[in-house]
Amino acid sequence: MEIERHQYDVVVIGAGGAGLRAAIEARQQGKKTAIVCKSLFGKAHTVMAEGGAAAAMGNVNPDDNWQVHFRDTMRGGKFLNNWRMAELHAKEAPDRVWELEAWGALFDRTKDGKISQRNFGGHEYPRLAHVGDRTGLEMIRTLQQRVVALQQEDYKIHGDHEAYIKVFAECTITRLLKDGDAISGAFGYWRENGSLIVFDAPAVVLATGGIGKSYVVTSNSWEYTGDGHALALLAGAKLINMEFIQFHPTGMVWPPSVRGILVTESVRGDGGVLRNSEGKRFMFDYIPEVFKDKYATTEEEADRWYTDQANNRRPPELLPRDEVARAINAEVKAGRGSPQGGVFLDVSTRLPAEEIRKRLPSMHHQFKELADVDITAEPMQVGPTCHYIMGGVEVDADTGAACVPGLFAAGEVSGGMHGSNRLGGNSLSDLLVFGRRAGAGAAAYVDGLTSRPKVHDAAVREAQAEALAPLERSGENPYEVHHELQRTMNDLVGIIRKAEEITEALEVVEKLKERAKGVGAAGTRIYNPGWHLALDLRNMLLVSECVAKAALMREESRGGHTRDDYPQMSAEWRRKLLVCSSSPDGSNVTVEERPQPSMREDLLTLFDRGELSKYLTEEELAEYDAAVAAKES
Amino acid sequence: MITLQVSRYRPGQDAEPVFQDYEVPLRSDWAVLDGLAHIKDHLDGTLSFRWSCRMGICGSCGMTVNGEPRLTCGTFLTDYGEGPIRVEPLRGFPVIRDLVVDIDDVLAKLAHVKPWLIREGEELPLTAEYTQTPAQLEAYKQYSMCINCMLCYSACPVYALEPDFLGPAAIALAQRYNLDSRDQGDRFDLLATDEGVWGCTFVGECTSACPKHVDPAEAIQRYKLTAALTSVRNLLPWGRS
Repeated sequence: MEIERHQYDVVVIGAGGAGLRAAIEARQQGKKTAIVCKSLFGKAHTVMAEGGAAAAMGNVNPDDNWQVHFRDTMRGGKFLNNWRMAELHAKEAPDRVWELEAWGALFDRTKDGKISQRNFGGHEYPRLAHVGDRTGLEMIRTLQQRVVALQQEDYKIHGDHEAYIKVFAECTITRLLKDGDAISGAFGYWRENGSLIVFDAPAVVLATGGIGKSYVVTSNSWEYTGDGHALALLAGAKLINMEFIQFHPTGMVWPPSVRGILVTESVRGDGGVLRNSEGKRFMFDYIPEVFKDKYATTEEEADRWYTDQANNRRPPELLPRDEVARAINAEVKAGRGSPQGGVFLDVSTRLPAEEIRKRLPSMHHQFKELADVDITAEPMQVGPTCHYIMGGVEVDADTGAACVPGLFAAGEVSGGMHGSNRLGGNSLSDLLVFGRRAGAGAAAYVDGLTSRPKVHDAAVREAQAEALAPLERSGENPYEVHHELQRTMNDLVGIIRKAEEITEALEVVEKLKERAKGVGAAGTRIYNPGWHLALDLRNMLLVSECVAKAALMREESRGGHTRDDYPQMSAEWRRKLLVCSSSPDGSNVTVEERPQPSMREDLLTLFDRGELSKYLTEEELAEYDAAVAAKES
Repeated sequence: MITLQVSRYRPGQDAEPVFQDYEVPLRSDWAVLDGLAHIKDHLDGTLSFRWSCRMGICGSCGMTVNGEPRLTCGTFLTDYGEGPIRVEPLRGFPVIRDLVVDIDDVLAKLAHVKPWLIREGEELPLTAEYTQTPAQLEAYKQYSMCINCMLCYSACPVYALEPDFLGPAAIALAQRYNLDSRDQGDRFDLLATDEGVWGCTFVGECTSACPKHVDPAEAIQRYKLTAALTSVRNLLPWGRS
C-alpha cells in the first residue's frame, strides 16, 4: 500500500493556541511548517476557553507588573512551578496579547479605549484580557486568520499558498519517528479516509493539549486523549508533575448529559458567589493558612473589594481553583449540597439582569439552552469537573525543547509552568508565550543541524501495523474499555485520593491495557470512530498510568493533588519532581524522584520571608537569608 | 424511547444514503447530539458524525434535523414530540460518510475575503496597544460571533444553486473587518460582485439559521448600500483615485 509522504522542517501537532502560535513563529523564521490536527481547523479545544488571557499590562490597575504576576503564578502553583517558565510567562504575556491585537483580535475595552482586564481567581489585580466570555474563540480565529494571511503572502512570492505553511486537518499522528536518538518525523492517518501519512521532519512541536477524556466528569472534549503526552513518552521524553490535575470548581452538574461542561470563573470574577443548601457563603470557612492575609473574612469586606480593591481584601470565592474545588467537594460530602449534588453559584442577586447578559452572554445562553435555567433570575448548580492537567512533557523553559533532540512541546501538553495548580487565565497566555518560544526553538534547532535525520522503513512498517491492527480484529468494543477507564480514574484517582484507591486504580488500568490489545473496530477505514477510539485508548491508558503512579508516590497534598491519607503540604516534597518515563512499547512506566532546582536569587527575593516560610524548608530559608544579606551589603 | 431516523452513507457499501432507524431513550435533558452519542457508544459504533465542545461554541455538530439546519448540541429531543426525528447531514455539502460533510469550499471562501486587518502603509506596531473605544467595538462585534458552523450556507437557497456565491458567513466575516476601526480596507473588489453581495436575493434564511445571532443577512444588505455608494463615488472626478 502506498503511504503518502511529505517533507517539512517543522511539524506542529495540534492547532489550538499553542500549535498555531508555534507554527506562525516557525514560518516567520523561514521554516517549511506543517500543522497537523485531529479536528477541523479552527475547532481546537482553545475555542472553548472563556475567561481570558492573563497579562500584566496594567490597563485597569497601573500597579500591576510582571513581578506581581510572577508571584501570583508561583503562589497559585504552591511554589512547585518551574520558576523560569513562570518568569518568562509573566514578562512576555503582555507583548503576546498586544501582538494578537495587531493581528486583528477583538478585545473588550475600557472607557478610554484600552484593552479591558477582568478579575480572576488568584490574580492580585484585574489582569485578564478578554472578549465577553468567548475569549478562546477570538484567539483561535485571530491565529487561524494570521495563518491565512501568511499563506496569501507566500502565494504572492512563491505562487503557492501552502509553500511554507500547510494545514493537515482531521489527521491524527500515532507515532513519532526517530533516527537514533533524534526525531526524524511522524506517522499518522487521515480520519476522513483512513489512508496513512508519513512526515519527514527533523523537528516536531507537540501542542496537543490535555488528557481529560480519561475522566467521566470533564469539561474536555473528545480530542483530549493525552496524545502528545503519550507520543512524547513513547519517543523517550519525560513527563513531570503528572499527579497534578485541575478540577475546575464550577462545572455544570445538571442535567446529566452536560455534566462537567464549564461554567466560567468570570461568573465569580464579576461578582458571583457560592452558597450551600443553607444559603451560607461557605468559602469564608475554607481560606487556607497560606492565604489568610490576602482574603476577606467578612461578606461586607468581600463585597467592598469589587469597587475598592486598594482598601479591601479579595472575596474567598476568588481563591485559586484547587482550594475552591476542594471546598465545594467538602460541602457536598457534608450534606450541604444542592439537589443535584453540587452547590449554588449565584450571580442573579449580585448584578442587574442587563449587566449579566452583557458580561456573561455565553453563560446566559448556555444555561438557558442546556439547563432551562435563567441565570439572571436564579442560581446555577455547579460542582468540580476535570479541566486541565498541570503535568506534561518536561521541557527547557526558554526553547520548549524536550530531552529528545528535535522534540518540542508547548501549552497544556508541556509541564512545569503551572506547578501544582494553574491560575485561571494563565493558560491562554501560556499558549501564546510558549507556543512562540517552541516554534522559535524548533526553527533554531533545524538551523543547527548538519544533516537531516532519516525516517527508517522499519519504523514506518511497525507504526503501520500498530495503526491498522484494531481494524483486523473483531474483539471487544473500545467504548467499553474507555468507559471503564473513565469511571476508574474518576472514582479512584479523582479530586480526593488515598493509597488503597490509587493502588486499585492501577490494577484496573493494568487489566484494561490487556483488554485494549484485543479491542476491534468493525467497518472500513473511512471516518470510522470505533477505530479512532481504539487507537486513542493506548494514549489514555498510558497517561492514566502515569497520573496514578505519580499520585501514589507523592505523599502530601498540594494544588491539584489531594491525599486523604496525607492531608498536609510538605516543604520536603516541594523540592521533589516526579518524573515519568516509559519503555518504547509503553509496557513499562516508571516514576522517579528528582530534586526541584532552586529558584534564582533575584526571583526568590521578590517574596517576603513570612510567605516563603510557609512553603520552603529551613535549609532553603537559610539560602534566602543569605541572598537578602548579600543584596543589602 | 424515541426513534432517530439517521442518514447513513458508507462509501463502498451504500450506493446512496439510506435511512436507518435507532431507538434512543427520550430524556428531557438530551440533545439530538446525546442521542447520536448513545447510538455510537451502545448501538452502532460505526456511525460517524462530528462534534466537539457540546456547548455551542465550536460549531462542529451542525446537521439537518427534521429538514432544518441545526446545531445538534442545542437541539433537544423533546422539541419533537413523539418523534421520529430525522437526522441528515447538512444540506448543500458533499457527504463524506454518514453525517460528515466536506466543507472545504466554504473554508476557502472564508479565507478569500482577506480576514485580517488591512493597513494602508504602516502596519500596526506589534507590541503596543491600539486605542479602540467601546462604541467602535460595538460597530463590528456582532459579526465576530461566527463559529463557522456552516448552518447559514446550508440554509442559503442561493448557495445551493450557485456554488460560486461567496455566501453569508464569508460576507459577514468581511464586514467584521470592514467595520473594525483598525482596518483600512473596504474589500470592494471581493464583495461588490455578482458572486459577492449582488448574488444575494435577500431571502434571510441565513439569519434565521444562525445560532449565534450574527445576522449575516443584515451584513449583506448593509454592504450592498456601501458598495452602491462606493460605486457612485468612484464615478465622480473627486472620488477614489
